[in-house]
Amino acid sequence: MEDQDYILFEDYLAGVLTDDEVVDFSNRLQNDVAFNQAFNTYKDSSGFLEHKIQNQKASAEFKENLKIISEKHFKGLSTSSKIIKLTPWQYGMAASFVLLLGVLILNIFSKPKYKDFAGHDNISLTVRGTHDEILAKAENAFNDKTFGEAETYFILLLEKDSSNKELQLYTGIVLIELNKFDEADSLLSTLSKEPTAYKNKATWYFALSKLKQKDFDACIKILKTIPEGGDDFKSAQKLIKRLG
Amino acid sequence: MSTKILHKDQKYIDGLVQNNSFIIQAIYDRFVPKVINYIKNNSGSAAQAQDIIQDTLLVIYNQASEKKLQLTCPFEAYFFLLCKRKWLNELKKSDKKEVTISDEALFKSDDAQELVFETILFDKKQALFEAMFQKLGTACKDLLNTTFKIKSMEEVAASLGVSYAYARKKKSLCIGKLTKLVRESPIFKLLKY
Repeated sequence: MEDQDYILFEDYLAGVLTDDEVVDFSNRLQNDVAFNQAFNTYKDSSGFLEHKIQNQKASAEFKENLKIISEKHFKGLSTSSKIIKLTPWQYGMAASFVLLLGVLILNIFSKPKYKDFAGHDNISLTVRGTHDEILAKAENAFNDKTFGEAETYFILLLEKDSSNKELQLYTGIVLIELNKFDEADSLLSTLSKEPTAYKNKATWYFALSKLKQKDFDACIKILKTIPEGGDDFKSAQKLIKRLG
Repeated sequence: MSTKILHKDQKYIDGLVQNNSFIIQAIYDRFVPKVINYIKNNSGSAAQAQDIIQDTLLVIYNQASEKKLQLTCPFEAYFFLLCKRKWLNELKKSDKKEVTISDEALFKSDDAQELVFETILFDKKQALFEAMFQKLGTACKDLLNTTFKIKSMEEVAASLGVSYAYARKKKSLCIGKLTKLVRESPIFKLLKY
């Protein structure tokens, strides 16, 4: 193909040809096989570039997320199947480590605890007049504080309605309760940045997740983003004081 | 494809496109163990299975986000077949043998296999376009990066300090150059599209 052909392809795709030119172009596509094939490859090249360049950020985020989930999954597999035998001196080391850990825990005791601040009210997901069995089971499990069971139902619900912010928030809380911090943080962090009714509540629980992980600096940083007058602002201020 | 009914498992494809951690997690919990078993039982290790699975999910993500992949069969069958083909291809590669497109055509018998064939073809085409893009000169790469990042060609021209007509012409010629490189590649002829 000549340079003029590529310029013509681009003009056609950009929709800047006149009606007569479009008719000529269509005729050439029908009657000139080489022209037709080159145009199709040009279109594919353009589509490839458009996706590659415009989707760069989303694609990198997907890869990163996939890597984290994959590594977690495979790490879980290897730790669950390996039994490590310890020699007597290794037992000694382990005992010293436990002792050291005990001292550390004692030091941490002076800090506020997650349970002091995470008093969840009962939730209500079911709508009067309708009956969704999984929704009812999720609600009951959450209110009964059987969070392992609740997690199963919330995941099923999110698979059906993944953009539901209310379900995302409650799932985040359930994950904190189950100490699944990576998943909880990823979910609540995203939710806390979106302009929805659940923004402040999500920020509060994101901070509580950090509190439960004893990452006090991160907890304070997140608490400070809750605006005055927003949900949980008072509780946030109280917690900042206790952590200070 | 358009006349076929969309399978309810399309939620997994949509979840991948949306980068939904719960859906990705669900895929790992439900469908990945079978793939790991298959690879481990066929001369592979868990680490190799991890790579194959990650690559496969990335290809599905790319095809779904670029070509709006429509699932017409259960996700499990599609995903497993895709991982299996990828693994067999890896094994053949180590024997210095390549799985050719005509080999893939043998597997075109039902919806899952047809979709797997399309995804493999998409993957090969992507690799070819990417390799040829890398062969372009820096000036063309920079111009294409700018033109596809900034949608308005007037703004592109302004940012490059050239006239609108010149920017459009250069864009056409750079995509033309990529088109030519792709069409001249021996792999392009094997792909038969």
